[in-house]
Amino acid sequence: MKNLKWIIVSILVATLILSACATKTDTPAVEEPEEPGEADVPEPEEEEVPAEPVTITLWAQATVTESGPPPNDWIAYDIIREDLGIELEYTIIPPAGDGETKLNAAAAANDLPDLFQITSTTNGRDNLYAYYELGLIAPVDDMFAMMPVRTETHYNNQILIDMVTFDSQVYGLTEPPIIPKREGFVIRQDWLDALDLEVPTTPEELLEVAIAFKTQDPDGNGQDDTYGIGAFIEGPGLGRRFNFVFGAYGVLDLWNFIDADSFGLNVRDPQYYEAMQMMIQLIDAGVIDPDWPTLSKDEFRARWKQGRFGIMWEDFAALTNKSNYAPFDENFPEGSWTPLAAPVGPEGEAYYGLYEGNFQIFAVSQRAVDEGKKEAIARLLEWIATDGYYLLGFGEEGVNFNLDDDGFLTLDGIDPEQAYNAPERQPYTQLRNQLVFYNTLAEISARYPNYTTEVSGKLMTPIETYLSFFQAQDWVEGFAKKLIQPPDNAADFERFYNEGLLQFVLGQKELTPETWAEYLDGLDNQGAEAYEAAATQVLQDAGMLP
Amino acid sequence: MLKTKTRGAFGFQVGIALFLFVALLIIVIPFWRVIMTAFVPLDIYTNRGVPFLLSPGDWSGEAFKQLMTHSQFPRALWNSVVITVLGVAISMTLTIPLAYGLSTRDMPGRKLIMAFVLFTYLFSPGLIPVYLLITGMKLTNNYLAIILPPAVSVYNTLIMTSFFEELPVELKEAARLDGANEFQVLRNVILPLSKPILLTIGLFYAVYFWNQFFTPILYLNKNELLPLPVLLRNILISSSLNEYVEYNAFSTSAVESLKAAGVLITMIPMLLVYPWIQRYFTKGTLVGGVKE
Repeated sequence: MKNLKWIIVSILVATLILSACATKTDTPAVEEPEEPGEADVPEPEEEEVPAEPVTITLWAQATVTESGPPPNDWIAYDIIREDLGIELEYTIIPPAGDGETKLNAAAAANDLPDLFQITSTTNGRDNLYAYYELGLIAPVDDMFAMMPVRTETHYNNQILIDMVTFDSQVYGLTEPPIIPKREGFVIRQDWLDALDLEVPTTPEELLEVAIAFKTQDPDGNGQDDTYGIGAFIEGPGLGRRFNFVFGAYGVLDLWNFIDADSFGLNVRDPQYYEAMQMMIQLIDAGVIDPDWPTLSKDEFRARWKQGRFGIMWEDFAALTNKSNYAPFDENFPEGSWTPLAAPVGPEGEAYYGLYEGNFQIFAVSQRAVDEGKKEAIARLLEWIATDGYYLLGFGEEGVNFNLDDDGFLTLDGIDPEQAYNAPERQPYTQLRNQLVFYNTLAEISARYPNYTTEVSGKLMTPIETYLSFFQAQDWVEGFAKKLIQPPDNAADFERFYNEGLLQFVLGQKELTPETWAEYLDGLDNQGAEAYEAAATQVLQDAGMLP
Repeated sequence: MLKTKTRGAFGFQVGIALFLFVALLIIVIPFWRVIMTAFVPLDIYTNRGVPFLLSPGDWSGEAFKQLMTHSQFPRALWNSVVITVLGVAISMTLTIPLAYGLSTRDMPGRKLIMAFVLFTYLFSPGLIPVYLLITGMKLTNNYLAIILPPAVSVYNTLIMTSFFEELPVELKEAARLDGANEFQVLRNVILPLSKPILLTIGLFYAVYFWNQFFTPILYLNKNELLPLPVLLRNILISSSLNEYVEYNAFSTSAVESLKAAGVLITMIPMLLVYPWIQRYFTKGTLVGGVKE
């Protein structure tokens, strides 16, 4: 009996050992590098598919992290193998720190994959530069000619390309920022109607409307339970939820990207002082939900669903997606949010927000180029932007989606479980935000379709009503922010900068020209001047400042 | 005098009890919050946040259902089980003979071997050299990359060595007189007497391997090989889910509930194992750690 037990345990352990040691054997051999001349031919449609597939290893993040990777029998793998002669080995890498560590470990071992997404906790461009300095990545200038369609659709932003250009050669493939300028101001239209108010167009009018929302019971429940404005701190200083104030004074965010000739910290601009005065007026009037300095994003969102305030800055998808909007719709069937243009300040400025553009950078390893894979990588990327676009972005036409006469995606006649937007289908389109999408209207409409709310039966039109409006506003281009290195004492500097502003607006420190000058002196003591000088230098080096 | 002393002792006991009660609250309240977050239904979460106590009818297992019906869940669970079972088996197989050898005082070269063992305890090779070693051995995409580097824990070896040293030498000598070789002594004399330490160290190893997420991220590039903690962590780090899940794919549960459920799911197997071996646990660690 005892021996039997040992035999069973031994068999179990042996099974596990075999299971653990098992490696896939279906990976075909790597093809011999092609002749250099062939790789230079920029005619993708006339390329011959190699007799044996070239293995391309691709490391990229997932679009829906928790949805897992595509299965091994994914039809795209077969098509890529048969039509392109490429054996694609796609690995999902974790975002942020873990992904960065994985890449750095691979880089240290000269074991970077052929094509990979730069992953960083701070600034992807810096990581790219580090790989460039180590000679681990290859220039990609010549790849643009090999993928003419993709270059036209994806790599058409010269500012982004300049940011990954080192020593006159491009080392990164900058994918378009996914759905740019997606946040904006919204105001409760039903509250405006109930109080017979006009849409505010200046900070002063906005203050008046907010006071009315606070004091005149806009929801008609007979209780003093509403505020004019809802916010929480997100971003430097008081955060971008107060863009409607700072944009009106032309001092959005940390750096002045509006006027290249006077680049520097916005707090040095005299208009910043005026914006702070406006902020203090709003807070003193008690129209901002008083918990704003400590609210989390989730708590903030819970509050607008509860009808706590009537003006806010919000992401269009967070505002309109079914799961977020449903509780609001249930609580306020008559409620609706109307997009709001930036209030116009005393000098006629009305900037909406800073557009930083969270673009992704892909790089090609030098090892892949040495193995003659550059042309195959270009072939793969071009295919993703052309024949493979729908397959990798949405699935198979006729199975996961249909196209209407105008070229828009429709789910008419599609099994709901097979629909491109069904949870089960997410693993098949994990590359969509990384390498596929480039913000066409058809694409965005498919991702954020119109729908009818369950309780009120309201037609929600996320793109038409909100995103299009937000994107049409006057945004400040702030890509260059990614180039600016934080100072050595970043934590101390940020704490002084943020807490100082907060103390002024919360009344812990009186705002006067003297105290403001003291605050600026304090910033200088924290190294603000050196920070500005370094930032100016790096932007000048990148050709972004005169 | 006696009364004062008794009163003082009583006060001391009350103080200790209060301290322990506060310590208990510090541990229990966050844990309770995790439980509530895991079970709060979406509508309550979106309207009221996480309550301190849910009404009996409000408990929702949707987050658990959503995670456990995840297409990757069964495979990730199996992968974790494989890594844990195999890791414990290999680790114990290597640790036991090493500890036994080090506990045998007349073993030739014992001090030198102990010095080697301690050296690895004091000086870690660092991430990159280990990465180079693993890739050089062609162990990427192989569970041995996860299991072999930490297979022998010096800390566990030292605890086990101390335990073995406490066992009566006479037993070993008697076995040797009966003609047993060292393997037979270990197999038939030492191990049957070492249940507490074997279970304790086995548990240490099991917890370690069960919680592995970083090395799998480094060495396993094939998604089908990833263990449960990596899958659950992928969910935990998706803090911006509300904004970017366009299709409402996860609309049946709040993101925070998914995170909390993920934490509980990872804890449950170990929570189940602990009470089972608790009675050996204290004995295993104390007997090995206390010298008379």
